[in-house]
Amino acid sequence: MNNTLTRRTLMGAAVTASIFAAGAVSAQETFKVGAINPYSGPLALYGNEVTRGYELAADAINENGGVLGKTVEIVKGNATNPQEGISAVEQLATRDNVDVLIGTYLSSVAGAASETALNYNKLYWDTNALASVLTERGLPNFVRSGPYSVSFAQVSVDLILDSLAGKLGKAPSDLKVWIEHEESVYGSSIAEYQKEQLEEAGVHVLGVGAHSYKSIDLTDSVLRAKDAEPDIWLQTGYVPDSNLLLRTAENQRFDPPVKVFVGTGDTNETLEALGEEGVEGLLVVSYPRPDVSEEFGPGSNAYLEAYRAKFDQDPVAPQSMAAFVGMKIMAETVNKAGSADPAAVAEALPKMEKPEGTYETGFGVDFNDNKQNVRAHPTVIQWQGGNQVTVFPDVAAQGSQMLGIGN
Amino acid sequence: MLSFLNIVIVGLLLGGIYGLVSMGLNLIFGVIRIVNFSQGELVMLGMYGAYLSWFFLGLDPYLSSIIVVPLLFLLGVVLQRFILQPLQNEPFMQIFATFGLLMFFQNLVLAITGGTGYSVRSAASSAVITMGEINVSLPRLIVLIAVIVVALGLNWFVTHTMPGKAVRAVTQDRRSARLMGINVELAFMLTFGAGAALAGLAGVMLAPIYTLSPQIGGNFILAAFAVVVLGGLGSVWGAFFGGFIIGLVEAFAGYYFDPALKHAIWFLIFIIVLIVRPGGLFGIAGAEEMGLREQD
Repeated sequence: MNNTLTRRTLMGAAVTASIFAAGAVSAQETFKVGAINPYSGPLALYGNEVTRGYELAADAINENGGVLGKTVEIVKGNATNPQEGISAVEQLATRDNVDVLIGTYLSSVAGAASETALNYNKLYWDTNALASVLTERGLPNFVRSGPYSVSFAQVSVDLILDSLAGKLGKAPSDLKVWIEHEESVYGSSIAEYQKEQLEEAGVHVLGVGAHSYKSIDLTDSVLRAKDAEPDIWLQTGYVPDSNLLLRTAENQRFDPPVKVFVGTGDTNETLEALGEEGVEGLLVVSYPRPDVSEEFGPGSNAYLEAYRAKFDQDPVAPQSMAAFVGMKIMAETVNKAGSADPAAVAEALPKMEKPEGTYETGFGVDFNDNKQNVRAHPTVIQWQGGNQVTVFPDVAAQGSQMLGIGN
Repeated sequence: MLSFLNIVIVGLLLGGIYGLVSMGLNLIFGVIRIVNFSQGELVMLGMYGAYLSWFFLGLDPYLSSIIVVPLLFLLGVVLQRFILQPLQNEPFMQIFATFGLLMFFQNLVLAITGGTGYSVRSAASSAVITMGEINVSLPRLIVLIAVIVVALGLNWFVTHTMPGKAVRAVTQDRRSARLMGINVELAFMLTFGAGAALAGLAGVMLAPIYTLSPQIGGNFILAAFAVVVLGGLGSVWGAFFGGFIIGLVEAFAGYYFDPALKHAIWFLIFIIVLIVRPGGLFGIAGAEEMGLREQD
């Protein structure tokens, strides 16, 4: 009897010990990454798309030995607004005990979530939020590997000065531009930067129009731009207002020589709304797409193949490739730092320098004092026959030409 | 002069949109005395109805009104019978209930679509009638014609038919109407159904103009409330002309001042009208208080 009990006790102890041991091993072997994005609500499509980039990156990282010798695992944290961002971080940090946090499709969520992450001394690595204020805060745990609003504004200005002016056969001082933007801080900050830079280069900015992205009617905005007769119509906004502007311009027979949209207008949502003819020739400044040249973004073709193999479709939006690259840079940085501790990572950032054209998106690595990667730039596509073709910068364009502009 | 004329036309076309969205809201408010917060979502359902009819049946969005409008009518009848009627003696709870419906419909469509913005194109989508410098988009012209037909039809219905007269009687005094043998509950059900059907019609007519999103109803509804109060509660012609007033003010303010200021300007006019004529431009004096009068 005693014997049996002892044996049972021993066996029980052994089983318990093995369970604990297994738990300890698996905890040790997993590097958990909490992915903060909207997975419900109107932006779920894009939140999921960004996280698909992380999942593909996790596959690639795990094939190469993982992070700090551990297998990377993605844990999703749903956040459609700042409040949800805070609770998602709290849950991921306490219940799931993640090692780092990554995100974010929404800048407002990134702001609140990263501050909460600081309370738990967790690194918040941002790959996709655009607001410039996020890095300007100088938060010790916040790093951004992707382009931000200033990069988008800068590329739109470069496009006009370095490419479009020549194609239109005009000196910058003869060039007339109308700047249109949605009225929140996103559109206004980009428009302000564009105006300043263009005027500095001598370009004649005819006017700056603001509108709400929820507007029911934008005929007034279109007619004001039409009356000014610009060479280039430059718009920054969201999908609903961008589509409505394009449709209203079509109705009002406003057909400026060049239309440049910043941030949106490059997805199927716009193609479906306007039809192939309606979007033909439109230029869009957006995240680099997988069709960039291998010289500009080495591995971009392989990325597209991996995406198709895993998700059985083409990328819904270009944000996922920037997310993919951002997570890879994060893994490399944490490996370099030997720890996911924000202070150690911050110390390792200056040692990460890499030239532009290192990653699939054409990004390089050079973090400034605010931990913003200044070697991450958007590219420009043009709608051609219902397809988005990368046309700027030249090195990314694979020889593709802008059609229907100038001669 | 040409641009002035152009802006007048832009304003009238926009007024048509506002008027059409406001008709159903005004009918429900005028007769049942419920502020239906979910009216914008009924418009949104109409838009998605047009999309589904196009996607599954290949119907042109304008033709889909033969399916969508009756379905929305039925939905309206069901909502009135099973949600609002049991709360008949608790006006505040009715308002909360319509707010609940707003959240329900919005989130339901969100869950189904995942937030992708859909568009439905009609053969008329890109058609433009050009007269010199003036361009009139055909989908907007169709909306304008629709609102004129609806206003004339509604006016004829409430002045020339027995059910219409019953609705008017119920609007004026529920208790007396009941004493005259009018089935008040039935009148309410048909009215809410008609209000929902009008929202469905508005949704179908607007679907070719906008990119569909679950929140799009909210973009219309604020303006629709202003139109209804400005024009006069419960007055068919109030919603009709109120829509045009708001449309014209918005077009002129947006073009001649600043598009960012247009909403501030029409809300200012709205507040002035409320102070000068609390019943609205076409409303009956004191009508706005009828909802507060003790009813059966």
